[in-house]
Amino acid sequence: MMKQLFPIRHVIGYIASLILSAAALVVIYMDLSTTVDLVILSITAIIQASLQLFVFMHIGEDADSKKELYINIAYALFVGLVTLFGTLYIFIWGWYA
Amino acid sequence: MKIDASKPLEYATEENSNKIFGFWVFLGAEIPLFATLFTVYFIMVNRYASGPSGREIFEIGPVLIETFLLLSSSFTIGLAIHAMRHGYKKAMMVFMAITLLMGLGFIGIEIDEFFTYIHEGATLQTSGFLSSLFVLLGTHGAHVSFGFLWGVAIMIQLWRQGINPATANKAFIFSLFWHFLDVVWIFIFSFVYLKGLM
Repeated sequence: MMKQLFPIRHVIGYIASLILSAAALVVIYMDLSTTVDLVILSITAIIQASLQLFVFMHIGEDADSKKELYINIAYALFVGLVTLFGTLYIFIWGWYA
Repeated sequence: MKIDASKPLEYATEENSNKIFGFWVFLGAEIPLFATLFTVYFIMVNRYASGPSGREIFEIGPVLIETFLLLSSSFTIGLAIHAMRHGYKKAMMVFMAITLLMGLGFIGIEIDEFFTYIHEGATLQTSGFLSSLFVLLGTHGAHVSFGFLWGVAIMIQLWRQGINPATANKAFIFSLFWHFLDVVWIFIFSFVYLKGLM
């Protein structure tokens, strides 16, 4: 019963999320350069987001719609990232100046 | 209604599969929504005018509790769906109730955080930084609040009707929404709070 209620995949995914959140704290408690800090945050956040998507949301479980779901999320991320980095490029990284 | 017994209950009819697919498309629209809010925040983060900066108002303690609550609730809603697939109604409802209580705890801490900021003179109107911060956090918090009410409504239906193709489908779609909120929070935790405090 306990084994059925607490599937090992989910438990490992949860523990991994907690460890990654804790690992991200090094950016405030250690004196690293800004670039290193941002790389650490990006890595821990992207791994955690992927854990949610693949382990908890089971994005690939329905064979009939798997391909469309991946394309949908990839397209959404594409639009989001172009908006984000395009705007940063114009306003923060100096194109406008 | 044709029920395909080879699939989990929430996918068992064509309507059910379509609803799940449709919800993924909706989440595909939520991603650009939050991307634009993050974009505005990153543009505004150093425009704090005569008001406080992030470093001056962010407190890591409550943020860590919020993160722990949302991560754990994302785990328990996953367990609820797992229990649902085994037909354990009682276990499913217990996991869902824990999920929603943690969601409520999250909302409580966030409201307290907002009041603390306002008492410190950091309001929506103070600076571009604070406007974008409140809109980003508030949009996420509004999603969690709506999710709480939605989850309660689904629990009432589960309690009355038990696990059937309709309630299983609703609960599964709710779990997708809840996991998505956790994904957004991971980015808020990392790129708003930790980045602000580093």
